Formats: sequence, C-alpha cells, structure tokens
Amino acid sequence: MMRLKRWSGVIVLSAGAACTGAMAQNYPSEQDYLQEFPVVLSASRLSQPLSEAPNAMTVIDRGMIVASGFRSIADLFKLVPGMYVGYYHGSQPFVAYHGSTDQYARRMQVLIDGRSVYLPPVSMVDWSNLPITVDDIERIEVIRGPAAASHGANSLQGVISITTRGADQVEGKTVSFTRGSKGINDAAAYFGKRGETLDYRMTVAYTADNGYDGQTSPPNGYPITKFQADTLINNSNDSNQARMVNLRANYHPDGVNSFDAQFGFNHDIQGVGFWDSAKDPFHDVISNAGFLQLDWTHQTDVASELKLRYYHIRQDQSESFTHTSGTVSAVQTSQVERDEMELQHTLQFGDNNRLVYGAGWRRDQIDARGYSTSAPTFYSSALTMDEYRLFAHDEWRITPRLLLNTGAMFEHDRMGFQGWSPRVALNFHLTPEHTIRAGASMAYRTPSLVEERFRASLPGVLFIPNQNVTFAGLKPERILSREIGYLGEFHDWDASLDLRLFSDEVGDGVYIRSAPTAFTNGVSSRYQGLEATFKKSFGKDSDLTANFAHELASSNGPALLAAGHGSMSSKDPSDNDILSASTPENSASLLYAHRWANGISGSVSCYYQGALQPYDRGAIDYQPIQRRADIRIAKAFQPSAGVEGEVSVVVQNLLSTDYTEYIASNLFKRRAWFNATLKF
Amino acid sequence: MLLAATVQAAPLNVRLLLSDRSPAYLQFSMSLSKALASERADVIVSETGGGAQPDLIVAVGMKATEFAITNFTAPVLGAMIPKAGHDSLRERYAAQHRSRPLSAIYIEQPPERQLDFIRAALPGHRRLGLLYSPGARINLQELQSGSVERGLSLVALAVRSNETLFASLDEILNQSDLLLAVPDSAVYNGSNVRNILLTSYRHKVPLVGLSQAYLNAGALCAIFSTPEQIAEQTGTEILLFARSRRLPEAQYPTSFDIGLNRQVARSLGIFLDTPETIRERMNKAMEERR
Repeated sequence: MMRLKRWSGVIVLSAGAACTGAMAQNYPSEQDYLQEFPVVLSASRLSQPLSEAPNAMTVIDRGMIVASGFRSIADLFKLVPGMYVGYYHGSQPFVAYHGSTDQYARRMQVLIDGRSVYLPPVSMVDWSNLPITVDDIERIEVIRGPAAASHGANSLQGVISITTRGADQVEGKTVSFTRGSKGINDAAAYFGKRGETLDYRMTVAYTADNGYDGQTSPPNGYPITKFQADTLINNSNDSNQARMVNLRANYHPDGVNSFDAQFGFNHDIQGVGFWDSAKDPFHDVISNAGFLQLDWTHQTDVASELKLRYYHIRQDQSESFTHTSGTVSAVQTSQVERDEMELQHTLQFGDNNRLVYGAGWRRDQIDARGYSTSAPTFYSSALTMDEYRLFAHDEWRITPRLLLNTGAMFEHDRMGFQGWSPRVALNFHLTPEHTIRAGASMAYRTPSLVEERFRASLPGVLFIPNQNVTFAGLKPERILSREIGYLGEFHDWDASLDLRLFSDEVGDGVYIRSAPTAFTNGVSSRYQGLEATFKKSFGKDSDLTANFAHELASSNGPALLAAGHGSMSSKDPSDNDILSASTPENSASLLYAHRWANGISGSVSCYYQGALQPYDRGAIDYQPIQRRADIRIAKAFQPSAGVEGEVSVVVQNLLSTDYTEYIASNLFKRRAWFNATLKF
Repeated sequence: MLLAATVQAAPLNVRLLLSDRSPAYLQFSMSLSKALASERADVIVSETGGGAQPDLIVAVGMKATEFAITNFTAPVLGAMIPKAGHDSLRERYAAQHRSRPLSAIYIEQPPERQLDFIRAALPGHRRLGLLYSPGARINLQELQSGSVERGLSLVALAVRSNETLFASLDEILNQSDLLLAVPDSAVYNGSNVRNILLTSYRHKVPLVGLSQAYLNAGALCAIFSTPEQIAEQTGTEILLFARSRRLPEAQYPTSFDIGLNRQVARSLGIFLDTPETIRERMNKAMEERR
C-alpha cells in the first residue's frame, strides 16, 4: 500500500545558522531569478502609441532633431504638417497652426516637461528666452487639434509638448562649438551622471547670431514702389545673444517615489526695432527668464500613480531707447511671474481602463512700467490673475480592437469664465496594422491680457497692459474640431502612414473692430483639410519622413470688412478673405537621413510652403511660394583615449532660393555653420 | 498501486531542505507536498535531527544544496538552482560527489528554449543585445551559435564597471532590437533595473526578462518556470527515485510559463500573439530541428 506518511518538517537554512563558512558568495545563485523589482514602466509612465492616441500627433525625436540641422527650437515645427513658422525678427519666431497669425501666435498650448511657457501679457512664447537649448530636447510631441482634456488651458488649435532629456540621460561631459555665417556663434557644455538613487545633468550654453540677412534690393518679382523698397533695405536689427544654464536632478530613493527638480535661467539680448519706425527704433530688449520646477511621482501600487507638480517661472524684460527722431527717451520694463501647482492621479482598472484625473491652480502676476520724457510720462499696471482647472481623461479598451478615449477639462479662467472642454475619440484597429480614428473636441482660449486691457500708442516692443479692462465684454474664443484619421503601420516594410481629415470651426474669434477701435469677438472661421505623414526606414541606416498638408480656410472676414472693420481687409488682391489668404493651401516637408559605416552621416531636408499673405501684414510682405533645402553632413570619430567626437557642417537654404518670412525685410539667404562636439 | 507496492516496500525517507523561508521556497515546499499527495506517494519527509537516515535529500536553492553535500551522505537532488551553480558545486565537491549521486532540476530555461521563444514571440526582432559583467557565468558561445542557427544575431558587451554600465547600455541598445536579461546581479539588480528599463524604453528596445518580477517591472516578455512547476517535476523525480534508487541526469525544467506585458507592447507598438500561439510556434520549431 502506498502511504503518505508524514509531511511534517522542513529544514530551513537561515543565513548564518546552517550555512557554514564555506558557503561562497560568488556561486551563481537562483536569486537572479527570484529577486523582486520595483515597477518601473507603470501604466502612467507608458506613453500611448500613435494608434491609440485620441488626436493626430507628430513626434519629433532626437534623431530627427539632429538630422534637421536646426539650431532654433521654433524651426523644428517646420517638420509638422500644417504648421506655420514665422519670424517677426530674427530672434522672435512664432509658431502657428492653420496659417499665419499676427506675430503674437497665442492659440496653442506650449509645454516644456509639463510646464506651460506661453506667458502674459501676450500669451505667446518667447522662444529665444527659453532656458533650454535644442540639444536639451529629447523629443517633441505636437498634437494637431484641441486637447484641453489632457493638456490644459489654451490648447485651442493644438499642443506643443517638449520633453527635455531626463536627469539620467546624460552621462559624462560633452562640449560643443558652432561657428558660421550670419554671426552664428554657439558654445555649450553638457554634463551628467547616473547613479543608483541620484541622477543629474547640467547645461551651460551661449548662443548668438545676427538674425536675417539684410534686404539689399527689392524682393524678387513683387512690384513695389521706390519708397516701399527703400524701407526694406538693411532694415533688420535682429541679432540675438543668449546665455543660459539649466540643471535637472532626479532622486529615486526607492521603487515608489521619484523626485525631479529642475532649474533654468536664460539671459537674452535681442536686437529689435526698425530704422524707419518713429516709435520703435533700433534698440535692444534685455530679457532674463528663469524657472524652478519640482515633480514628485509616487507609485501607490502597480496600477496607481500620484504626481504632484509645482513650478515657478519668472521673466523680466526691459528696453531703454530714444524715439521720435531721438527727441523722446523711454524706458519700459515688464516682470511676469507664473506659479502653478498640479495634482494628477493615474489609475489602471483591470486591463481595459486607464483613468487620469486631477486638478490644477495657476497664478500669473505682471508688474509692468513705462517712463517717458513726453506724455504719458509714467504708466504702469500690476495685476494678479488666478485660474483653476479640473480634468479627467479615460482610455477604455472596449474590445481588443476598439478603444474609446473620453475626457474633459473644467476651467475657471482668469477673467472669471467657466466652461467645459470635452473630447471624445474612438480608435478602431481594423487589423494590428490599420487603425481608424474618429474624434471631436472643443476648447477655449481666454483672451490675452493685451487684448482685454489694451494700451494704445506705446513706443518700443514691450507691452504695458492697462490696469483696467479696456474692452469689456470680451470672452473666450472657442473651437469645435472634428477629425477622421487613419494610421497604417507596416512593420514588414518599416513604414507608416498617418492621415487626418479635419474640420475645425473657430467661433467668437477675437479681432480689432473699428469705430470704436477695440478687440472684440466676432470672427467665425472654418479650416478644413488633409494632413499626411509618411515614414519609412531603409534598413537600420536610413530614415525618411515626409509631411504634407492641404488646407482651406474660410471666414466671415469679408462680411466684417464690408461692415467697416478695416483690420479684416485682405491685402491679397486675389483673395478677399483675410484668413483664407493667410493660410497656405499646400505645404510639405521632407527629411531624409543616412548613416554610413565609417561614422559618416548625412541628411537632407526640403520644405515647401504655398504662397500666403501674412495675417495683419501689408501687401509688401506677401510671401510667394517658398522652397528651401538644408543639408547636414557629419563625421563621428571613434573613441580614443576616452575621448570621442563629431564634426558636422550644416548648410541651410542650400540652393539659395532667397525668400522672406512674414516681413519683407526678413530675407533668408544661404547660410552655413560648422560644429565640433567632443565627449569625454 | 500494485506496481508501486511490488517495487518498493519500505517508504522513501526524503529530507527537504529550503535555502530560506521566502515565498518562492515555501511555494515549492507546498507544491511538492501537493504533488506527492496527489500521487499518493509513499514518502516520509523527516525533520532535522531524529528519525532514520534520509534516502534522498531534496535541497531547494544553492545554499541548501551545498549544505546537503557537506552535511549528508545520502544522494542529493538540488532544485531551483542555476546550471552554472550546479556545475560549480560539482567542481568544488568533486571528492564527495564521487561517492554519492548529485543531480539537479535547474531554475532557468535551456538557451535553445529561450531563443525559440524570442523567435516565436518577436519574429521581427532579430538583433539581440546582451549586457554582462565579466564575473558572470553565462554560456555566450551556446547563445551565440543558437542565435545564428535561428537567423538571429547576438551582440554581447561586457560591462567593465558599474561606472560604465549606462554608456555600455546606450551602446548595446543602439545596435539591438531586443535586450536580453541574463542572470547577472552586477548588471540586473534592484537599483540598476530602473534606469535599464527606462533607457531601453526610450530607445524603444524592449527587455526580455527572466521572471514574473521582470514583467511586473516593465519587461516586454519572459519565459520562466514557477516554483510550482519545478516542484511538480521534483515530485516526479522523487517517485522515479523511489522505484529505481537512481537519480536522473541534471535537467532543465520541463514546464514553463510564457509571460507577456501587453501594456508595454502596446506602448512600443509591438504586436504580440497569444501565449498559446507562441507556444505552438516554439513546439513546431523544436520539432523541425529534431
């Protein structure tokens, strides 16, 4: 008979007791298979793949940033279908979606590591005064379409989300020097260290250039008068010098908590003004911008994560100049501060639901002053503005093939308006390779301080808003966006195709009305079109990205013009709708990069933009079709004696098809620079 | 029952030694008990000290196995120990081993199975990256030739020191489609795994782990044998020993789990079949090689 006798005792060898001294520690041990780890790639840390995102999204990664050769962050957005990158001055770029805006592009949310960097009083981004270099950027995600539910206020037309390199992404020391035409003169040092519980990285950088080429003869092919031509000649005082430092540290004492601290500062001197302008002569604007950001991430369990963020931004700007033919002296200063706190909880329900919800508070403060030797001799404003928001976003995998993204943000803005910005999108995987997306979303834009509290006839370039509301009754602009998208990811071909058909309707758009002159709501516009991105890799050594956008805009601009509102007059004789005229019908970009075996790499990029009449500019600034090609060639050197390096040459506008941007005096000719980078 | 009764009259006296009381060992102990109970095995497991001399020592883990070799004269079946550990013990205690049988059921998967799994789960990922420290006992040659056989390429990089770990990691990730975790605590330990996973995720190069813990942390996939599976196999070997009084050759676990982290797969845009399909494909590949 079989008997199970006894299953009573088990000897357990505890360390030190049963183990003899002979127990060698260096034996391969089963502990390698039994050890526990913290949850690193938690649900909240994993990014949504493109095929499951609720919006059309363009990703610009490190490889594309390097291959593009761009040394200005704003230029990178030329690689996003449907984006317009314009420059008011060589150091004052603006990035807009759906055609050109005025030089104060203010309809997009712009985030750097979650920090919102569009600032009052104009609600635009001062790209030259950001305390990061192009090389600090790890990746950029651009959401084409409103996305307030997940990215906060001002996500009217889209969201630019810049992720800088993490504290653990820089190891060792790197120095980089750039010299080139048009005064291009950059130097940067990067260093960082990864550790078991503490990682840090630091950047110290200097960048300088002389902006655009001066216009020395009338622009090609455009009939202008001698007087007009004369105003364009040598009319660019747009050199820029920025000195910056930034530091990022991450402390992760255990698998549960992570503390990220960032600090940055940028001291920037921008040349501004026009020689033919009575009140804005050639002079400098001095800007000092700094920030401090703290992020605490707490993993409560495998399926839940809390994130608390606080940041402070401060930008001080000043200008001192004489105007009106040197008869009046003026000094203007502006001090802007932003404090923001956000708490966010990510929760995974089972395998099929991921919920993110939270709340945020923001305080903006501005203290701006002007002094002048002619009336008004002293003017100033000091304002404090608070806004609050609640948000929730849920990703529900209804079936393995069907995903529903729903979300909304409730906002109480600085003007006291309250409203919901909802978003819903349904993604259907026809097969793992083919995904169809249909979505709709709404968002609002609170008018900028300048639009609400306007002060007329200021000299110089800084805005000193009025202390009181000048245009009562102004309310937020709103957008209703609808889209149908297709994403094909062809793994066998190493290729993907992203298509988007969209219809965006903007209501209560702000414009300048006449009699009495005032910023007011009243523009209704509609943007419809198709955007496409095709990507393909050829083996491991070649990558191609091609973007195309076809867009048509229409608005009630002609009706407003007929009603006597002169600001809505189109300067394009062939198109009487100012919004349609300022939107290029077609635009495209292409980036191809190849790496050879011996450390040599090269890339070519081409940009095409259909003709447009820049919004709010004169007929003289008409931008005919723009074609541009850039190349970059680099050679990397194998490490020797612990040092490795790379030299590269970038040539922009290789074919020297001179063109102008936004303003006719902004002439862009061929330019080139050389870079040497050493790592040790 | 009749067979058992005729072959073995006296009950088998087995002593179970656990390396410690952490969950894996206790699970092993419980599962072995269950396995033997369901077979209605005629087995006595005695306590330390009193009782008859054991006929067989089942030692779970390296500590227990070494203890058994040095403290008992009975045959030793080491369970849940790595092959390299088993080899080291044999080498070190060659003298004691000659006089009594020593065998093992390893904790890890045979390299061929690991490679078959990668081929079956991720047919598009052909460049395997492997990071190890010079002190690690990894049979690179076997992995290398197995990879070539399957149309895979393996790039292995030795990490000189902890200081250069992440520079080496960047280097290996730049030339790989997959990062293959290896049993090497100098590289894969609780404090390094965070940065290894974050870095590989940023490079869009997934990690193939060694256990459920790797999957939970953020590895894309893993095959591994659980303490329960190894205990069942141990139970079977105990029964065979009861009949023949002979220990089998040291062997790899026969049963294994396929673990997939679908969230990581989705985020990386990687399509993974079901574990069943992957297992079928692995079986097919194995049969074809025979």
